[in-house]
Amino acid sequence: MYAIELKDVVKDYTQCGQPAVDKLSLRVSHGEIVTLLGPSGCGKTTTLRLIAGFERADSGSIYLAGSAVSDGRRFVPPERRGIGMVFQDYALFPHLTVAQNVGFGCKAAERATRTREMLALVGLPDFGDRYPHQLSGGQQQRVALARALAPRPVVVLLDEPFSNLDADLRGQMRSEVKRILNQAGATAVLVTHDQKDALAISDRIVVMCGGTLQQEGTPREIYQFPENRFVASFVGESNILCGKVGDSGNTVQTLLGEVPCSHTHDKPPGSQVCVSIRPESLELDPHGQVAGVVKEYHYSGQSIDARIETLGEFPQELTVHIHPEHSAQIGDTLRFRILPEFVAVIRAEETIKTIA
Amino acid sequence: MLKRTMLLLVVTAIVLTALIGCTPRQTNTGKGEVVVYSARNESFVLPLLNSFEQQTGIKVRLLTGNETLVNKILEERNNVQADVFLSNDAGALEYLRLAEALSSNQSPALKIIDETYRADDGSWVGLSARTRVLIYNKDLISEEEMPKTLWELTDPKWSGQFMITRGGNGSMVAHVAALRAVWGDDKTTEWIGAVRKNAGAVVNGHGDIRRSVGAGEYAFGLVNNYYFHQQLSEPTNNNVGAIYPDQGEQGIGAFVNAAGVGLLNGGPNRSNAVALIDFLLQPDQQRAFAYTSMEVPLNPSVESNPIARPISEYTTMAVRLQDIGAMWADAKALIERGGLDLDLGQ
Amino acid sequence: MTSDNKAAITPATTRHNPWVRLWCGKPPSLFLLGIATAVTAVMAIPIIYVLIQGVQADPARWRLLLDQRIPALLQRSLGLAVTVTSLALLVGAPLAWLVTRTDLPGRDVWHWLLALPMVIPPYVGAMTYIIVFGPRGLMWRSFGSTFLDVYSFTGVSLVLASFTFPYVFLLASSSLRRMNRNYEEAAAVAGLSPAQALLRVTLPLLRPALGAGALLVALYVLADFGAVNMLRYSTFTTAIFYQIGSFDQSSAAILSVVLVSLTVLLLYLENRAKAGVRYSSVRGTWHCRQPVRLGKLKPLAMAFVTTVFLFTAVLPLAVLIFWSVTGIANGALDQRFFGFALNSFVTAGAAALIAGILALPVVYLRRRHPGAVSAFLNRLSYTGYSLPGVIVALGMIFLFNNYVRFLYGTAFMLILAYVVRFMPQSLQATETALSQVPPQLEEAAQSLGFSPGRVLRRVTAPLAVPGVMAGVSFVFVSALKELPATLLLRPAGMDTLAVRIWIEASEAFYHSAAPAALLIVLLSILPLKWMLSKY
Repeated sequence: MYAIELKDVVKDYTQCGQPAVDKLSLRVSHGEIVTLLGPSGCGKTTTLRLIAGFERADSGSIYLAGSAVSDGRRFVPPERRGIGMVFQDYALFPHLTVAQNVGFGCKAAERATRTREMLALVGLPDFGDRYPHQLSGGQQQRVALARALAPRPVVVLLDEPFSNLDADLRGQMRSEVKRILNQAGATAVLVTHDQKDALAISDRIVVMCGGTLQQEGTPREIYQFPENRFVASFVGESNILCGKVGDSGNTVQTLLGEVPCSHTHDKPPGSQVCVSIRPESLELDPHGQVAGVVKEYHYSGQSIDARIETLGEFPQELTVHIHPEHSAQIGDTLRFRILPEFVAVIRAEETIKTIA
Repeated sequence: MLKRTMLLLVVTAIVLTALIGCTPRQTNTGKGEVVVYSARNESFVLPLLNSFEQQTGIKVRLLTGNETLVNKILEERNNVQADVFLSNDAGALEYLRLAEALSSNQSPALKIIDETYRADDGSWVGLSARTRVLIYNKDLISEEEMPKTLWELTDPKWSGQFMITRGGNGSMVAHVAALRAVWGDDKTTEWIGAVRKNAGAVVNGHGDIRRSVGAGEYAFGLVNNYYFHQQLSEPTNNNVGAIYPDQGEQGIGAFVNAAGVGLLNGGPNRSNAVALIDFLLQPDQQRAFAYTSMEVPLNPSVESNPIARPISEYTTMAVRLQDIGAMWADAKALIERGGLDLDLGQ
Repeated sequence: MTSDNKAAITPATTRHNPWVRLWCGKPPSLFLLGIATAVTAVMAIPIIYVLIQGVQADPARWRLLLDQRIPALLQRSLGLAVTVTSLALLVGAPLAWLVTRTDLPGRDVWHWLLALPMVIPPYVGAMTYIIVFGPRGLMWRSFGSTFLDVYSFTGVSLVLASFTFPYVFLLASSSLRRMNRNYEEAAAVAGLSPAQALLRVTLPLLRPALGAGALLVALYVLADFGAVNMLRYSTFTTAIFYQIGSFDQSSAAILSVVLVSLTVLLLYLENRAKAGVRYSSVRGTWHCRQPVRLGKLKPLAMAFVTTVFLFTAVLPLAVLIFWSVTGIANGALDQRFFGFALNSFVTAGAAALIAGILALPVVYLRRRHPGAVSAFLNRLSYTGYSLPGVIVALGMIFLFNNYVRFLYGTAFMLILAYVVRFMPQSLQATETALSQVPPQLEEAAQSLGFSPGRVLRRVTAPLAVPGVMAGVSFVFVSALKELPATLLLRPAGMDTLAVRIWIEASEAFYHSAAPAALLIVLLSILPLKWMLSKY
């Protein structure tokens, strides 16, 4: 039994020109933190709202804790689904105090104790008498989370929870939210368009585009082994090259020559494929197989991000990250070797001629 | 839940309005009420109605308007709202009687009024007489200079010097009807057009005219004689005189109208209405009424305000009031055609 | 519930169900839709009925009116509207600029003071002008000259402009306040002098606000009855009023059709002009910037502002206070007065409450179930907006005398006329109030286990109530001031304060009229505070 299960869910808004969800199937286990990741308009928020019951699926079924909440025969309204939700702008009730907000969904008998527990959990034990407008963004977020968790929901849904926070606070709140969710033992589905949120907080990431599921897996799987071009370029940066699987089965023959690759989806030698080479997998090495001229670069502190043009018969543009201890100038010729761990074969049906 | 809340709101709204809508009807004391439509100046009517309320315990609901109430009464014929109509004009009352909007009244109290001043079936009865006169400001014009006939008002030399009321005014309608009976359609239409053009101001009521003439804004104006009497009694701006028009050998005479009261057909409180009419005919009330409004009572035994000139002293038009009723609608059409019902400038 | 089930039974049909698609997938319950439709119908039927009567009237009657009356009335009504609107723009726009952009002394106080004339109903203003500038008024008695002929076109125009220019002033100053001042600085950098910048940048950007203000003024003039009637000037509204008074319903209906067409034309023109200049002005970064220095012109500017204030607020209020004191000393506050005040409060109060309650389903439907149907219903329920009271009254008389006889001649008819006429104010306020309750708040409550009904009570209502109450108070004050419909529809024995002002003023009993007028003015100041914070 899964905490959440979606089977072939379809939601079509064509009348009003909004994004759709197309035959989406998804399973979330108890206690898991799953992130729906994708660009705006990919259907991730719609999926979240379908789970919550704010939208009604056109077809397909949705199960919460094993029982159907939306299928051909029945539709359970949001208030009877036992879900908790954290909204993008937190949606704290402005006319209620923090404590009243947190206790809003609790049964009267346990309201006081539960409110205290939750405020302690989110680290705001003394804020109960304040009003939402007297809190900072991070504090509002904690209150929103406490409110969602207070009635012990089957699942907590978080819609772009970090998008209203500034950069400093974001990092801090990611680990904080993760701690709170784990401590509460909550099952959570989170929606974001920010890969850093997704990578930092999730047990599992579901990448969506155009209403369909692109790839699901652990953060490491998603980053290290993107399965298609969209995932490769949306989650982090990537150089995408096309070629053939080499004879040994763990290399790919590309315009750069033989690229070592530890994740080939067991494609037979000779099949047409593309590879995604993360900038991190191109390491500066005077004896490296790839040589190129620096066309432009910028210094980010952690690395020097440069675009180079390879030498040879078929010049290619590649993005590389150079360790900041080195220096690079426009026009320099540098050599790189390719680390196989961050090279992944992506699905061949997307034959791509040029570099992303 | 949503439904129940909404329903509650709607029901509250309906109950509330129903309550308020019915409130006036529920204030009835044991004696009931009587609904009076009055085209007469409120300040003359109110004291009478108040003393009626005090003496009988019947509540009076008064709607003060003007002669357009005649139309309101006709419009409401299938849904009668009022019991009694106090009119400035016997012609309007007779017009209503012909339209079967009035009901006959056999009360013996009516006999006190001469039968020329009441309907045969008693459905309306006159209370006081009023004569159409030209009030003038003695500082601005002398009696000799004043026009002596109504036709003279068409003379361009009076352009901008005098005031008249809009043709919608009841006294004006009856007056036009009477003129039409004497002059015929064409001459009357010509008179209306020329007068409208010549008039310095076309106003809503006679009160405006007497005050303005008294204050010297205009030299003279066409009013009912009691407005002249009222202005004469003002502490200031009272240097006014009156011309009773069209006297002399060939003159058509001044037009005398009667203000009166009609009993509406199918009104909700008929017996109270009859009681009110009886009350208004009591000599005491007649006297009080005539003294405050300075009209001439039609009850010969009631003395009039000494300021007023008795009817017997001047020539009056040979038009029977009962006949005016039938011509009322035509007179209104004539006025409208002449553009006197509304001041639209030149 | 019914629609819930219907939508959930067969997913395949839901997807292509035109009913669901019409509502963008969120069909309302039939109950809510039914109520909203009923409310809308009540709002629109009287006016539609008048229009049908007018269109169906005897062609001979049409011809007669078209030949003689309508051209003259058009000329008079439009002439007055154009003149008053121009005057209001000429006064209101410079005042707005002086108060928001320059170093005029006491700017914040002026912002408040110059809005004050708005609370004086024009017919009350007209009365005070007659008292002062009338042919034998205060001026004539003191100086032997009236200086101004109040009964002339000039007089009517000045009086109406005096009490309507605040619409232009308030809209323009709010627009100036919000305008991104970077535009003006960009103009300065581009080498324009302050005067050139004003003409070529600020004024064009101000155009939508000025247009909206001008529209309000023009609609007001077209709809006004009391002031023009007191000043003996005939327009469409007075003509309709007298036709109704003489119960010439078909002529009244015909004139109404023309007046409504005029109003609609005006709204259409403004809409089209607005569509041509839609600026997506980025909200200005709000620095505290140096106001324009008036320098030597400061005394001149002060004189201008003071003069306007003197003639549009001080003079009428002083007159009202003087005559009220005289009246009260002579016992004007008698039992009758309180009876009239009670009638006013009961009718206006009932209308305000009903308008407030009836607005809820219409606005709720529109905001929470958007779609073509709710937009249509919403628009239809705005019919009373910009319609003269006389036409609403005409519709009521038609309708009640023919179909709802048992309610004819009751206060209900009058109250309903107020509701139809002023419902848009309640709709607007409710809309604003509800827009401040984002749907997420309701969803949050729902996700915490609250049924829609409890969400409405625990979350939506507490947050929206202040705004809704503001709407209720707007309607209350408007109904309190309303004159023509009240004159035509009041039941026997139920005169209101507004009616008394009219009757007493027409008999020149100013000491009886003034206390009632002053009371209305004072009550109107209350929602003004709310309006000022809105603009």
